[in-house]
Amino acid sequence: MGFLAPWFLAGLAAVGLPVWLHLLKQHKTTPLPFSSLMFFERRTQSSIKHRRLRYLLLFALRTALVALLALAFARPFVNSAAVASARGGKLQVLAIDNSFSMRQDARLDRAKSEAAQSLSSLRPKDRGVVLALGSQAHLMGEPSGDLNGLRAEIRAIQPSDDRGSYAELARVLRSLAQSANMPVEAHLFSDMQKSSMPPGFADLALGQGIRLATHPVANQTLANFTVENVTAPRRLYDPKKVRIQATVMASGGAAGRRRVALLLNGREAAAKPVDVSANGRATAEFIGLDAPYGMNRGEIRIDSGDAFAADDHYYFSVERADPRPVLFVHAARDGRDLLYYRMAIESARDAAFTLQAASPDQAASLPLARYAFVVLSDAGEISASFEQALRSYVAAGGSVLIALGPSSSAHKRVPVSDEPIRETRYAARDAARFETVTTLDAAHPATRQAGNWAGVKFYRSARLEPGADRVLAKLADDTPLLVERQMGDGRVLTFASTFDNLANDFPLHAGFVAFVEETAHYLAGLDDRPANFTVSSYLDLRTGREASGAAIEVLNPQGARAMTLAESARAQNIQLTEQGFYEVRRPNRHNELIAVNPDRRESDFDVISPETLALWQNTGQGSRVASAASGEVERKPVDFWWYVMILVLALAVAESLVGNKQLTVDKEAV
Amino acid sequence: MLQRFLDPATLAGLSGLDLIAKTVVDGFVAGLHRSPDFGFSQEFAEYRAYTPGDDLRHVDWNVFARSERCYLKRYRGETNTQLLILLDTSASMSFGGAPVNKLDYARYVAASLSYLAHEQRDAAGLIVFDEDVVNYVAPSTRQGQLFRLLHAIEKAEKGTRTDFAKPFAHFQNFLKRRGMVVVLSDFYEQPETIVKTVAPLRFRGNDVILFHVLDPQEIAPTLRESSLLIDVETKEAIEVSPDYVQHEYRPKMDAHIGALQTQARAAGLDYFLMNTGRPLDEGLREYLAVRQGRM
Repeated sequence: MGFLAPWFLAGLAAVGLPVWLHLLKQHKTTPLPFSSLMFFERRTQSSIKHRRLRYLLLFALRTALVALLALAFARPFVNSAAVASARGGKLQVLAIDNSFSMRQDARLDRAKSEAAQSLSSLRPKDRGVVLALGSQAHLMGEPSGDLNGLRAEIRAIQPSDDRGSYAELARVLRSLAQSANMPVEAHLFSDMQKSSMPPGFADLALGQGIRLATHPVANQTLANFTVENVTAPRRLYDPKKVRIQATVMASGGAAGRRRVALLLNGREAAAKPVDVSANGRATAEFIGLDAPYGMNRGEIRIDSGDAFAADDHYYFSVERADPRPVLFVHAARDGRDLLYYRMAIESARDAAFTLQAASPDQAASLPLARYAFVVLSDAGEISASFEQALRSYVAAGGSVLIALGPSSSAHKRVPVSDEPIRETRYAARDAARFETVTTLDAAHPATRQAGNWAGVKFYRSARLEPGADRVLAKLADDTPLLVERQMGDGRVLTFASTFDNLANDFPLHAGFVAFVEETAHYLAGLDDRPANFTVSSYLDLRTGREASGAAIEVLNPQGARAMTLAESARAQNIQLTEQGFYEVRRPNRHNELIAVNPDRRESDFDVISPETLALWQNTGQGSRVASAASGEVERKPVDFWWYVMILVLALAVAESLVGNKQLTVDKEAV
Repeated sequence: MLQRFLDPATLAGLSGLDLIAKTVVDGFVAGLHRSPDFGFSQEFAEYRAYTPGDDLRHVDWNVFARSERCYLKRYRGETNTQLLILLDTSASMSFGGAPVNKLDYARYVAASLSYLAHEQRDAAGLIVFDEDVVNYVAPSTRQGQLFRLLHAIEKAEKGTRTDFAKPFAHFQNFLKRRGMVVVLSDFYEQPETIVKTVAPLRFRGNDVILFHVLDPQEIAPTLRESSLLIDVETKEAIEVSPDYVQHEYRPKMDAHIGALQTQARAAGLDYFLMNTGRPLDEGLREYLAVRQGRM
């Protein structure tokens, strides 16, 4: 309840008027001589008291009249939720946690059983709604008073691999309270994991008119081991260079030696023991993985022997493939650029590429389609047919990396992409007359992990006119250093200097290897997305290369289609809702195997303290501050000043009647 | 016209008691019929035939000389009685609103009665009392008796408290002859006490008239607000509310008047309530009615 015009409450000071009339003026007596007091007895005093008592009724009426008048002008209001409460109906929300941790010891069954029992408190005026709470809250049905329907909705809740989020519950409750226009009484049936709490307590604010009751199905912390994380390469080119790391975590006071096994396609490939300290972590490392070509299903498994076996394994996928060839076209004046580039690409961590060098004339006769991408390292004059072949290669989805040296600068344009070359800029090498990189696009995949280029000195560079092309790096004099142009399905990346340690000292810096590796992956179309996802995360299905109309099939861990045909043709992404392996089949045969694991925060069975729970419940006790902090929209107030005014009129009539009766003698005296 | 002259407010404008008494009585008597009784006055009434046993002193010998028949000559009756006025001058008698208070009103009545008795050739006397006898004028028909009475009434001032027992015991000594006793008082005493005190006067063959003089504010007081009433005799103070006056005092006063009237008549006393807000003739009429009963 509040007031729309609270300053009118100052009118309550007028209550002093009847107080003065009845108490102060009442006691004022006038001495009056009289012939005899024979008929005035001492009993008269009690009569006066009686009179005062009757006046008190009049006094109360007048005081209430003035006070209510001031109250009416202050325009009191109540929130619509309070009005609905007065009418007696409420929305009873039964939120059942079906997160991954609820699989432990039939916790979900107990939660469902308790929820079904709580339906008995549903009154005829009330409505109930059932929620399945994971990282998102799923309404199992529309709000209704049908008890059988609500029981069926409770039974329909299945265990999930999702993680719980109480912030999501609070958000949904606020939303329901706004749409239902009645008080909300929420019952949460959960194991009350502390890890389900959001980072900020403000996200838990329930808002006005929402009452939360918790029904814990577990109230003690469990000792538990789990495979927290596995680091494995997504693609495997050299089995001997593979290194797989598995992290085993203990929580709830668990500690001891555990056997960590590496399984590949269901067969155990290796095993190692690890010693895990109490509430600590231990890492097991496996070197080498003799995986067959193609997609492989990997798994790390521990023999935990704890009460929750569902989190004792961790899936990962790995693809075995041969290194892809890269065509390096250069003028063959000297082999410095080839030397540096080859060393860099062979030093990459996954050895995904092999380099094949050729002169422009030799390259003109090679089938470009078999190469992952083509490098034109200051190739100079190239034949028109080769340039046309490169254009066709790029338009079909291929990629070209062009380095502009002295030979290329003489032609006033960049081959293939045709960007104009305005001039060649030189800097003296002895007097620290060089340029450095000042702008680097850290959002681009080719330069995202390129490291710091600040120490690289550029002595000579070609000045391009990038036009509408994307500039990824610039020198201090604003010369574009790295420019990308999209052509058809492919792309051309132009480096305005060379790789020969003459025009710059870039090949001598550590960032050169990272640059070569990243640009190679980018140009070859090897995306760097992780192969392992957590449940409820989204997988992007379409990158720029896939037309939106192309059908992409996704098979869930059970081998069934995860999307309808219409979704296969249009969906940009898909939510991964189950643990296991998802298969993504693309029309260009770029298939993927995605490993999905539950969020490991679900493996921590530490429960929320009662104090924290009480604080959370208190956010729904009608605090307007809390509502404002959570950004909740204020309920529409119901103004009832005219009810008060009717009461004022009734009091005025009553005051007139009582006053007329009690003050009759005074009127006679007048 | 009569009412105008007998109105207390009008009388208050006159200078002396003699003039007030003359104004009241003359105006009052002018409207009365002649007495139908016969007596020893010089005014002829009728002749009646003589019957044996009649007093020969009443035979009209002149008629007998002319007609040799005996006729008795009859005159209008003429009687003398004694009037004793008891005037209460206690402090409570001084209560009353303008223009006259109870004491003034009682003095007008006493003066008028004195004048009326003087005109009737009655012997009139006066006793002024409060808690004791303050002044006494013995009943007499001597020359100047009226002026002595008026002078004594004029001098009667507000006294102290009222005590009927002591002065009435003293009155017994003054009443040596039967007559009429008029008591002018506000009778603030229990009716039983008043009647018990006054009734012995009646045993000697006196006619006793109690003139209960009350102000309208005593009969039906009105208060605007709660007031602190102070007793003019005892100086006692009591806070009184208008509601009490309305609902409790008036019934008590009415009961007191009723009880006094009933018990007085039961004891053979005449009682008359004199409201000082009303003309004096009502009191005089009562007096004459009683006096007529004695003839």
